Amino acid sequence: MPRIAGTDIPADKRIVVALTYIYGIGRSLSQKILKDLNIDEGIRAKDLHEDQLSSVGVYIERNFSIEGHLRRQETQNISRLKSIGSYRGMRHRFGLPVRGQRTKTNARTRKGRKKTVAGKKSVKELG
Amino acid sequence: MSRSVKKGPYIDQKLLKKVLKQKDAKGGEPIRTWARSCTIVPEFISHTFMIHNGKGFQRLFVTDDMVGHKLGEFAPTRVFKSHGGVKKKGAPRG
Repeated sequence: MPRIAGTDIPADKRIVVALTYIYGIGRSLSQKILKDLNIDEGIRAKDLHEDQLSSVGVYIERNFSIEGHLRRQETQNISRLKSIGSYRGMRHRFGLPVRGQRTKTNARTRKGRKKTVAGKKSVKELG
Repeated sequence: MSRSVKKGPYIDQKLLKKVLKQKDAKGGEPIRTWARSCTIVPEFISHTFMIHNGKGFQRLFVTDDMVGHKLGEFAPTRVFKSHGGVKKKGAPRG
């Protein structure tokens, strides 16, 4: 299993797909990287040349933040929003959607599993 | 969709004028404003504002972290009344 950019070990998939196993690299970024380095997307990760591998690694490290570094940046950004007391920071604090989505219904990803409220009328009873 | 870069940030001109005037005078009263959509620019740092939230004014001391945000982001327009259960707990924080 080849190693790219530190700790990541993509499998024996096509290199475009293998790169997306790195946190912070999606399909389009992966395509762009390979295009910039003139590497064929279809090659399996294990069949890549040693110097091709290292060139990909160096290129990524130089241009993008990935993995732990990216995660740290994200939490820093969120804690910044919280500390200045902005609206977005509040939404993060309360665990509610941050970008103006509705919360009357849905928003379950942010709010977690449904909490049933006793005595609240169901839709059936109202109709 | 975000604002076109060509136009630059939206700044309330009257408010900016007031801030600059206060800067010359070195301090003074907190500035009352209704311009919630005004972007905070570096000139605003370490000035105090009273931002209208539709009902009253919320005091805000601007720090350098706040540059680039809008004034309105710091004066919530809605009050969240928490659901009081049998056990009363404080509003969720942290």
